[in-house]
Amino acid sequence: MLEQLLIFTRGGLILWTCRELGNALRGSPIDTLIRSCLLEERSGAASYNYDAPGASYSLKWTFHNDLGLVFVAVYQRILHLLYVDDLLAAVKREFSKIYDEKRTEYPDFDEVFRQLKAEAEARAEDLKKANPVGRSIAGGVGNGNSKKQGSGNKAGSEGGGKKKSGGGDGDGDGDRKKGGRLENGHSNDNFVVGKETNLKGSSVNGKENESSNLGAFDVNRLQKLRSKGGNGKKGGDGAVAAKGPSKAEPPKKAVKKNRVWDESTPETKLDFTDHGADDGGERNVDFLAKEQGESMMDKDEVVSSDSEAEEEEDDDDAGKNSKPDAKKKGWFSSMFQSIAGKANLEKSDLEPALKALKDRLMTKNVAEEIAEKLCESVAASLEGKKLASFTRISSTVHAAMEEALVRILTPRRSIDILRDVHVAKEQRKPYVVVFVGVNGVGKSTNLAKVKENNLFPFNLFKILYVGVMMAACDTFRSGAVEQLRTHARRLQIPIFEKGYEKDPAVVAKEAIQEASRNGSDVVLVDTAGRMQDNEPLMRALSKLIYLNNPDLVLFVGEALVGNDAVDQLSKFNQKLADLSTSSAPRLIDGILLTKFDTIDDKVGAALSMVYISGAPVMFVGCGQSYTDLKKLNVKSIVKTLLK
Amino acid sequence: MEQLDQWKEQLLHWRTLAEDQLRQVPPVQLYAAAAVLIFTTLLLLSLRLLKRAKSNTIVLTGLSGAGKTVLFYQLRDGSIHGGTVTSMEPNDEIFVLHSETTEKRKTKPVHVVDVPGHSRLRPKLDEYLPQAAGIVFVVDALDFLPNCRSASEYLYDILTKGSVVKKKIPLLILCNKTDKVTAHTKEFIRRQMEKEIDKLRASRSAVSAADITNEFSLGVPGEPFSFTQCYNKVTTADASGLTGEISQLEQFIREYVKP
Repeated sequence: MLEQLLIFTRGGLILWTCRELGNALRGSPIDTLIRSCLLEERSGAASYNYDAPGASYSLKWTFHNDLGLVFVAVYQRILHLLYVDDLLAAVKREFSKIYDEKRTEYPDFDEVFRQLKAEAEARAEDLKKANPVGRSIAGGVGNGNSKKQGSGNKAGSEGGGKKKSGGGDGDGDGDRKKGGRLENGHSNDNFVVGKETNLKGSSVNGKENESSNLGAFDVNRLQKLRSKGGNGKKGGDGAVAAKGPSKAEPPKKAVKKNRVWDESTPETKLDFTDHGADDGGERNVDFLAKEQGESMMDKDEVVSSDSEAEEEEDDDDAGKNSKPDAKKKGWFSSMFQSIAGKANLEKSDLEPALKALKDRLMTKNVAEEIAEKLCESVAASLEGKKLASFTRISSTVHAAMEEALVRILTPRRSIDILRDVHVAKEQRKPYVVVFVGVNGVGKSTNLAKVKENNLFPFNLFKILYVGVMMAACDTFRSGAVEQLRTHARRLQIPIFEKGYEKDPAVVAKEAIQEASRNGSDVVLVDTAGRMQDNEPLMRALSKLIYLNNPDLVLFVGEALVGNDAVDQLSKFNQKLADLSTSSAPRLIDGILLTKFDTIDDKVGAALSMVYISGAPVMFVGCGQSYTDLKKLNVKSIVKTLLK
Repeated sequence: MEQLDQWKEQLLHWRTLAEDQLRQVPPVQLYAAAAVLIFTTLLLLSLRLLKRAKSNTIVLTGLSGAGKTVLFYQLRDGSIHGGTVTSMEPNDEIFVLHSETTEKRKTKPVHVVDVPGHSRLRPKLDEYLPQAAGIVFVVDALDFLPNCRSASEYLYDILTKGSVVKKKIPLLILCNKTDKVTAHTKEFIRRQMEKEIDKLRASRSAVSAADITNEFSLGVPGEPFSFTQCYNKVTTADASGLTGEISQLEQFIREYVKP
């Protein structure tokens, strides 16, 4: 069952919760959702899983960007509630009608919600019942959709729904639903009824009317055609207007819905399935399918022409001065639009700007996957928002992206490691830093350039007169210990070594013991470079980390990598989590980016790594000397990324 | 002396010249010019005044979960409505304090900004600090010790910001949730934070010697840090957002935003 449904503002005030459900949530799933998902630019995902002692919830959410509202539904993970998306969309639609900025309490929404919930549950129930029937008669055609939905849901509950397949997005993105509807057309009549009512919630214009009576459908189509013919520019608005009638009268609609539901009670449904085999039923279905097919095409055209118009406007906007007469109408209307401000941003409006932005990010070496996710998240935060006067879509998108990037790159935890060293010193423990990474990022055999990155805090620690000791735990590669010894001699700091062919975990442990004996405050543990797929070596690393419980696990990564950055970090984190024997595995705490001086403006690796791991970039190495380690300047990175 | 006389003569000469010129100009133009001059000065003055009057901003800040949004709504409506969750955007509003809405005489509205405490959203604070008349740093007195370090770090960052130091914006450390029995006292919190900032100072100054630069350093070197050494005035107070016991906060606001 649904555990709780909340409506709150982005400012953080809860406007409405369902008092009837009344179940006290264990832990604080909502706060965790906001902190670890919505604020991390992961709002493009379909759902979020919350784990706490004695509770495992799945959370789904939707935004109303124009009003700044967030709708969150919480339910038990084990129940795969199919109607949650549907319900959220319905609640969003109804609530935005009565929302008023001045009001802070909405007791009258209780009644509306009860009704919406009953409808949503009924639809889900209906779908469940209709599904087996549809399958038995119409065979595999109708199944495709239900399967798709099921898998979408599964992907959603795994939290990895890359393409919003769970369908958290209500508004008219089309392809999947369209496909589903066509398939429905081919299957039998009864199935269509069930399916249509299910789809209705996602604000597709008046489809339920089509399935219940065809007359209404014709009217609807006419309206659509008219809106299309009227003026191509306002096509999108026209579609919205066509949506209008079905939206404008909620009580009427509610009645109608109920009526549909009443009609398709099990008995009548069985009747229908029988008829489905008859000729009359068959013809009816064909007719319906045809009608729907046409309507889809119409809609498609409207949408595409609309988006084309938008693109043109965008281009014109950009090159307004260069050739203003290229398309007079487009220019004028865009001019007018930029002054008056556009009503509401739609997905199709944002797409060209987002695509340009994504390409720009990718030329800056941001991993494609990350750029895609970021754009989705930005789109989710802008959709439905009003465009302010004297602004262009591209600049709005640009500003939103900039804000998102700053948010991501701003470290979540303190990156003042000297402070941590002091705390450790007070507790009379050495502060242990373990360096991990793939081969050649700062630990390969060639030359002194390698190790100066690993010795980075030396210049900081020396100022504080903190004793530093190095532990040579790279017992894998020949020459590694000697190399470290050379560095130690040059920097005049002690080194702990046990030669090769020893378990690095044991060497590290002994080094830490030695450090606490002779009063060193910091132990820098050097490990062998390893590829993220090398299972035995990763296991050894996991053991080292588990056995010694270091204060800081620092991932050393190259600033040069592109798409591989994601793979490296996620695999490292994954392996550390998987191979660890403890219940709370240590993951990577921070990132050290090396070779930052070689990459010019292709700083995307920093973004990819931070996004995928959530760990901050502690230092960037940008030079050959021992002191060339700097902190990351978030503002300049963001500026470079969007340049 | 001779030179002085010479200058006087010169001056007189110029004066007569100017008077001649003035006589040639029709009086209407003169009046118009004078009017324009007066008008512009008035305009500039009023703009200046307005700008100064605009600085009635109180910034609520602190760690996530300290109770800033609750305090914001207590100030505005005197009620916390249905409760709050973690904020994703600042609450930014100009209103008359709820406790003063019943008063007969007219009071000036206050611009209160509640900046989210989530560390990812901290850059937002920089937007509001330059125009602030006072900063309220909200601390969770109930759950203080685990958060002491991060709270102190945040406070340190605020106290060393250029915009705060230059304008000497007063800061109030508000210990929230004091209605609970196990809450720490404000004296204890103040002492702990001073200690923590003292340590931070050492590590930060070492870091800044290496490569990071803080805009200003805090306190007197060689002495243990205390808030009295700050450039701006730092005070402490108690409050309880849940029960609506916020009189000390209102007092602070009224001290720096005159009614």
